[in-house]
Amino acid sequence: MRKVACIGAGMTLFRRRLQETPKEMCWEAARMALDQAGLEIGDVDAVVFGSAPDAFDGIHMKGENVLDACGGIGRPYVRVFTGGGTGVFSPIAAYWHVASGLFDCVLVVNEEKMSSCQPHPQSVFGHIWDPILDRPLKPNLVWIFAMEMNRYMTVHNVRYEDVAAVAVKNKRNAVGHPCAQLADPHITVEDVMNSEVMAWPVHRLDISPPSDGASALVVCSEEFARTHRIESPVWFAGVGWNIDTTFWTDRDLYFPEYLANAAKIAYKQARITDPRRQIDFAEPYDPFDYKELHHMEGLGLCKKGEAPRLTREGVTQRDGDLPTCPSGGLLGVGNPIAATMGIKVGELYLQLSGQAGQRQIPHEVRTGVTNAWGDLMQFSSVVVMRA
Amino acid sequence: MTFRDRTTNVDALRSWRGDVEADYIYTTGVAGERFFTELRDTGRILAAHCEACERTYLPPRMYCEKCLGPLSDWRPVRGPATVEAVTIASVDAHGNRPPEPEVWAVLRWRGIHGGLVHRLAVPPKQAKPGLKVHPVLRPAGSRVGNITDILYFAP
Repeated sequence: MRKVACIGAGMTLFRRRLQETPKEMCWEAARMALDQAGLEIGDVDAVVFGSAPDAFDGIHMKGENVLDACGGIGRPYVRVFTGGGTGVFSPIAAYWHVASGLFDCVLVVNEEKMSSCQPHPQSVFGHIWDPILDRPLKPNLVWIFAMEMNRYMTVHNVRYEDVAAVAVKNKRNAVGHPCAQLADPHITVEDVMNSEVMAWPVHRLDISPPSDGASALVVCSEEFARTHRIESPVWFAGVGWNIDTTFWTDRDLYFPEYLANAAKIAYKQARITDPRRQIDFAEPYDPFDYKELHHMEGLGLCKKGEAPRLTREGVTQRDGDLPTCPSGGLLGVGNPIAATMGIKVGELYLQLSGQAGQRQIPHEVRTGVTNAWGDLMQFSSVVVMRA
Repeated sequence: MTFRDRTTNVDALRSWRGDVEADYIYTTGVAGERFFTELRDTGRILAAHCEACERTYLPPRMYCEKCLGPLSDWRPVRGPATVEAVTIASVDAHGNRPPEPEVWAVLRWRGIHGGLVHRLAVPPKQAKPGLKVHPVLRPAGSRVGNITDILYFAP
């Protein structure tokens, strides 16, 4: 397989109720990514689009709706979908477009406009459940996360303060992000613990906000990067993905096996045998604060049950030994599902090319890992990148 | 990298309300027909067993997900269920607060692959992983063959 680089990233503001249509957000992000790479759409061979359920935007088959804004007309264009995992999965699709030798330069655009859905995007989640077994019970998405968090905390005897500390870290990290929706330089663990209880043990500030937004990346071959004199390409070192059963009751919720399986594939390709030592920073998927801890363990960045301690000891702070979510993550920057690509693979690119500005990790970083979590909360996509 | 000054007040913009009209009919399926008919008529909770994989599925399916063979050996679950994880829901899917918080749980049975997610009839303070509970059903004559024929689980 050919070497593949990321050479540009762009993203819109993450907010509720943006004026821009889904197309307009896509165009903004795509234009930024092309500008950063110093390219025009004519340089692009193929386009990958990623988005979560159509029901958020309220446009059935939205991949076709946004086609023109993504530069897809007259090009090989495909939409990929792994629910919330799309944010890290569409860059993987772009990777295989290029690694295979089929294309030299691919534009990836991810988009979500959640605020179109009334009265709240939560109502769309009401339709993801099995219509026979689950829906008559009127389940609420947050319950399931709450039960997973409860199981994780029970098995490892985790204190709630250590979970809340993740929300504090990420919302503070987001202060340096120009697109952030919920950055807060003064937030404390007490603020999170005293926020409204949604479904115990989940409090309001344990959850990332629904957002509108789009993000884009430019991905290319080694030869393309050389001939176009790209200054700071960042390389895909390994990719992986994996899915577990859809039945919640068939899994032990304390550990994300699907992520461990996905990471195993990516680490084999990246020749990583000791993730804690060989990886310098991480952007684990953090739609909930406990999920960052869950995902650190699934990614093998620490032992099972050890992530709360690393957080408590400051190891995961931006200036710590293993910075996690230096972007501010979904908890701080926002959660327009697929568009979180901009703060996951996008942040790996910006950190590893030294372009993260205020958010730049103060010590040298050479290798980063990120994951996204999705489908029916049973899937993970993983990307390892190197400077 | 991006612009900060943009309106986020949709009422100040030209906008309109619409919906994606669609209605559906769902069948319970071959396995569901048997599971719910048994629940309605005898009050028993059935699981489906795969001899080859030595796995017993709840909810029951017409196939084994491991070997993809057909399943025909149906058997009722025995003994109490164990609460594996709980949540106490204070806000519903529409953001409203129910009069009393509702307790929901992941429930498992010994020797069964899978289990059920259902409501627990215990005060929130007693809702703890490890609790042994039994299903409480609607009275025989009023059951309809639906998962809500199980009203809740209780110690």
